Amino acid sequence: MTQREHLRNLALLGLLALGLLALPQGLSVYLTSFALFTMMYVVLALSWNIISGFTGYTSFGHVAFYGIGAYACAILVVDHGWSWVTTLFAGALVAGLVAVAIGYPVLRLKGPYFAIAMLGMAEGTRVVATVWDGLTHGGLGISFPSVENSTSTYYAMLVLMLITIAVAYLVAHSRFGIRLNAIREDEVAAEALGINVTRYKLLAFVLSAVFPAAAGGIQAYKVLYIEPQAVFFVQITIAMALMSMLGGKGTVIGPVIGAVLLYTAQELTWVNFPTAHLIAYGLFIIVVARFMPRGLIGFAIDRGWVRKGMVH
Amino acid sequence: MTQCVLRAVAALMALLVLVPAGRAEDRPKNEVLVGGAISQTGRFAEPAGRQVNAIKMWVDQVNSRGGLLGRKINLVLLDDKSDTQTAVKLYEKLITEDKVDVLLAPYSSAITEAVANINERYKMPFVAYGAASSPIWEKGRKYIFSIVAIAEDYQKGAVHLAKQIGVKRIAIIGEDSLFPRQSGIGAKQWADKLGLQVVLQENYPQKQTDFTALLQKIKAAGAEAIMSNSYFADAAAQVRQMRELNLYFKLFSGTVGPGLPQFAEQLGDSAEYILGFSQWEPLPDILKHPGMKEFIAEYEKRYGEKPNYHAGGTYGALQVTEAALKQAGSFDSQKLRDALASIETTTVFGRYKVNDKGMNDHEGLTFQILKGERRVVFPEQWAETKAKLPIPEWSKR
Amino acid sequence: MDDRAEMLGPEKAGRETAFSRPFADTAPAVAPAVGRRRGRGWMERSEVRSLYLLAAFLVAAYALPFVIGIRYGTVRWDAEWLGYLGTVVLSGFLQGGVYAMFAVGLTMIFGVMRIINAAHGEWVMMGAYLTWAAFFYLGVDPLLSLVFTLPIAFVFGMVVQKLLLNAVVGQPELTGLLVTFGLGLTMIYVAELIFTTDFRTIPYAPHSVQITDSIAVSQNKLISFTMALAISVGVYFLLKLTRIGKAIRATALNAEVAMVCGVNVGLIYLITTGIAASLAVAGGALVSIQFGFNPETGIIYTLQAFTIIILGGRGHYLGALIGGFMLAVLESLVSLMIPNGTAMVELAAYGLLIAVLLIRPGGLMGVKEG
Repeated sequence: MTQREHLRNLALLGLLALGLLALPQGLSVYLTSFALFTMMYVVLALSWNIISGFTGYTSFGHVAFYGIGAYACAILVVDHGWSWVTTLFAGALVAGLVAVAIGYPVLRLKGPYFAIAMLGMAEGTRVVATVWDGLTHGGLGISFPSVENSTSTYYAMLVLMLITIAVAYLVAHSRFGIRLNAIREDEVAAEALGINVTRYKLLAFVLSAVFPAAAGGIQAYKVLYIEPQAVFFVQITIAMALMSMLGGKGTVIGPVIGAVLLYTAQELTWVNFPTAHLIAYGLFIIVVARFMPRGLIGFAIDRGWVRKGMVH
Repeated sequence: MTQCVLRAVAALMALLVLVPAGRAEDRPKNEVLVGGAISQTGRFAEPAGRQVNAIKMWVDQVNSRGGLLGRKINLVLLDDKSDTQTAVKLYEKLITEDKVDVLLAPYSSAITEAVANINERYKMPFVAYGAASSPIWEKGRKYIFSIVAIAEDYQKGAVHLAKQIGVKRIAIIGEDSLFPRQSGIGAKQWADKLGLQVVLQENYPQKQTDFTALLQKIKAAGAEAIMSNSYFADAAAQVRQMRELNLYFKLFSGTVGPGLPQFAEQLGDSAEYILGFSQWEPLPDILKHPGMKEFIAEYEKRYGEKPNYHAGGTYGALQVTEAALKQAGSFDSQKLRDALASIETTTVFGRYKVNDKGMNDHEGLTFQILKGERRVVFPEQWAETKAKLPIPEWSKR
Repeated sequence: MDDRAEMLGPEKAGRETAFSRPFADTAPAVAPAVGRRRGRGWMERSEVRSLYLLAAFLVAAYALPFVIGIRYGTVRWDAEWLGYLGTVVLSGFLQGGVYAMFAVGLTMIFGVMRIINAAHGEWVMMGAYLTWAAFFYLGVDPLLSLVFTLPIAFVFGMVVQKLLLNAVVGQPELTGLLVTFGLGLTMIYVAELIFTTDFRTIPYAPHSVQITDSIAVSQNKLISFTMALAISVGVYFLLKLTRIGKAIRATALNAEVAMVCGVNVGLIYLITTGIAASLAVAGGALVSIQFGFNPETGIIYTLQAFTIIILGGRGHYLGALIGGFMLAVLESLVSLMIPNGTAMVELAAYGLLIAVLLIRPGGLMGVKEG
C-alpha cells in the first residue's frame, strides 16, 4: 500500500472518530449504550482476529480475557478503591501476563487442539472466578456503587476502539503482520525462513488479550454488576469469531464491519421476536460459517467490487 | 477501498440515525406506558414466565376497569435473555427512549442488582417482585422497594422445625449464585441463633446434576438434616439421589424447587415429606388476604393452573403500585416513589409497608409435601397441619 | 502396546497400530519443533516419555484429593468412611460408562472427519427429549424406546452430515466449530419452543441396590451402565469385524487412500455421523432416566465429552471409554474429599483437559499429534 493510501485511511479513521465523538450529544442514553456495546464488539472481534485471523490460531476461549478484565476492574474499584480508568490498564496488564503464562505452552498446540485448550481455559477461568471466593466473591458477584457513567464509559470505549483499530491496522501493514500471515499459511516453512515463530505467536496472543480485557473492564463499569456466569459467557467468544468471519477474518476492516452489522441486526430483531430470534441466530451462524468462510470482504473480492490486497 | 470504508461508515451512521427515527412515536394522551424487561428466554425463563402471566392478567384487568388514573395501560414487556448486560441496556432504553411512565421490575436477584443502579440514576421507582437478596437494599438506594421475604429467611422455618425435632447437626448446601448463597448465609445465621451446628457448608456449580459424592460427604460429616438452597433441577436431583443411594436424613429442605408444581409431579412419592419455602400459597382460607379468591380463580381460568408465589408476588407488587399511584394522584415518578415509601396496604400477597431501606417485612411460608400436596407447616399462625418429621426411613415408606 | 511398538521398530509398529487401533491417526505428525530437529527414533522415545509423564500426572491428580482430604480431615479411613468412598468411586465408574458412550460418538466424528462437533451435548439432549416424549405421551419404557429413537437419530445424523458437515470436511477447524455450534444453538431454542425451559425428569427405577452393607448404588445407574456397556461393545465389534467398520477405520487413517482403495468415502461419512448421533441419543436416553434436563443442559455434556476424548486420544475408541471412567471417578473423588469440592469438580475436569493437551496432545492411547 502506498503512503497516500495510509494517509487516507488515517483520515477516514479520524473522520469516524470525530463522528463518534459528537454522537452522544445527539443521542439518547440507550442509543449511546448501544453504540458503546457495538464498539465493544468491534474491539473484541478485532482482537480475536489478531491471533485467529492473522495468525491462524483459532481461539475458542477468548472470553477469558474479557472476563479477567471485568474482574480486575470490579475488584480494584470496589474492594481497593482505585479509579476505574486506572483499572483498565491493570486489567490489560493482568490479561497480558495471563496470556504469556498460558500462551507459552498452549500455543504449541495446533488447530483443533488449540481451540479446545482455549475453550477449557476459558471455562476453567470461569470456575476459578466462582471458586476463589476471597478475591472474586464467587457467585455473589460484585456490585459497584451507582454512578453516572454513560458518557464516560462511552468515550473510554471509543478511545479503546480507536487504539485497537490503529494497532490492528499497524500490525496488518507491518513486517510483524506479514510474519504472522506466514505462520498462518505454513508454520514449518515460516520457521525455516528464520522467523522466530514462538515469539511472534506469543506476541500476537498477548496483543489479542489486552484489548478484550480493557473492554471487559469498561463493560463492568458500565453494567455496574458482574458475576462469573455473565462475563465468562461462551457465546461472547462465539460472537467474536462470528463477527470476524462475517466481515472477513484476517483483514482489518472485516471484523469491524462484521461486529457492527451483526450487533445491530441482533438488536433490531431480538426485542421483537425473543425465541425466534435465537433460532435465527443459530441458523445465521450456520449459514455464515458454511457459505461465507471468507466473509463479506471475500464475497466482495470475488465479485470484483474491491481489489484484493486493498481491504486490509 | 475508499468506497468500501465509506459505505461501511455511512451504513453505520445511517443505522444509528434510522433506529431512533423508527422508534419515535407519539403516544396517545389517554394511554399510560408501563414497561419492564423480564427473562423470557435463557436460564430464568421458567420462573419468570409465571410473572409475565401475572403482569398480563393485571394489565387486562386494570384496562377493563378503566385503566390507571383513567388512562389505559400500554404494556411494553421486553426480554433480557437472562443476561445482566442486556437488562441494563433495556432499562436505559425503557427509561430514556420509550419514556415509560411506570417501571416494572426484572426477574432474579442478580439482574435486579444490576438494574437497581439504572432506575436509581433516573429516579424511576419500582417494586421488585423478583429479587429477595437483601444486599440490594443495603446500599442506600431510594427507588427500589421489596415486597417479598428476604433470601436470608428462606430456611428460617426449616431450621426452626429441625430444632423442634431435636436435630443437632445440619448441612447447608446450595447453588453458587447470588440468591442461593444469600439464603445459605441466612440458614447459617438461623442455625447459629438456635444453637444448631453446621457441619458442612458447600456450594456447587450451576447445572450440577450428579450429587452422589456431595450427599455421601454430607453423610460422612455426620449431618442429620440438609438445608438445600436450590432451584428445581438440583433439588429434584438431590432428593432422587438420596433415595437411590439409600441415604437417610431426618429433614430435607429445598428453597425454590419444592414449591413448583412439577416437583411433586415428577418425583412422585420421593417428594413426600420434603420441606420447601414459599413466599405465598394460593390458600385464601388460611392466609385470608383480601381479593385472593378472585385472583386465584381468574388466574386459574386464564392459565389452567393455580398461581404460585411468583405469580402472587408479582400481582401483589402491581396492586401496591396501583394503590401508590392512586395516592400520588399522578404519574410523576418522584410522587410515586414517595407514595411507595409511605403507603400501607394489603394485597393478595399480604401486607405491604416498607422500612426506611425500602424493604417490606413479608413473612414467608414453610410447607411440607404431604400426599403430593404442599401443606403449610410454618409459621404456626398459618400452619395447615403439623409437620410430619422426622422423615420416615426410605425402607419404611 | 507401546512396548510392542518399540520392539517392532518404527515401520512395522506403524502398521501394527493402524490395525489394532480403530481410529488411530497417522496423519503427518506436526509439532515441528521436536519433529524436525530430532530423528525418528528420538520421537518414539519422547512418545514413551510423554506417556510416562502423563501417567505420573494422572497419579498425582488422583492422589491430590486424598492429600487435601487428609489435610482438612475429610478423609477418615474407618470402615464407615471407606464405605462412602466405595460408593462414590463405584457410582463414578458407572457414570463414566455412560459419559464414555456418547464421547465415543464425538471421537468418531473427530477421528474420521477432523471436525469437533460442538453440538454433541445437544444431540444428547435431543435423545433425552425423545425418550421423555415417548415415555410421557406414549407411555413407552425409556429403554424400549431406544428401538425407535436410535433409527431416528441415525437418520438425523445422516441429514446433518449431508446438509452441513460434508461442506465442512477439510475446512479450517473454525468452520466446523461454528457450524456445529450454530446447529447446537438452533436445537436448544427449537427445543425451548416445543418443550419450554421447564426441567423434565423421568421417574425410573428409583431404588437403591445394596452391594455390600455400606456400598449402595442406584438402580438406574446400574441399568444405564449395563446398557451403555452393551451398546459400546456392540459398536466396538461393528467397527472391528464388519466391512463397514473396516472402511470407517480406513477412512479415519487416510481418506484419500481409502478412496483409492474403493471405499465410498461419502457414504462412510454419512454412516459415521449416523452412528455418532445414535450413540449420543442413546446416551441421552440413559442420562434422562438418571438426571433432570432442560434444553440448556447440553453444554455440560459437550464439555465432558471434549475432556474425555482428549484424555483418551482423538479417534480412539477404547481411549474414550477409559477417559470416561477416569474423568467420572476423578470428579467423584474431588467432590467427596476436597472442602467445597463440588464447586471445583469442573476445575478438575478442565485442568485435566489442559494438562493432557500440554503433556501429550495425542492423549492416553493416541499417537503423537500437534
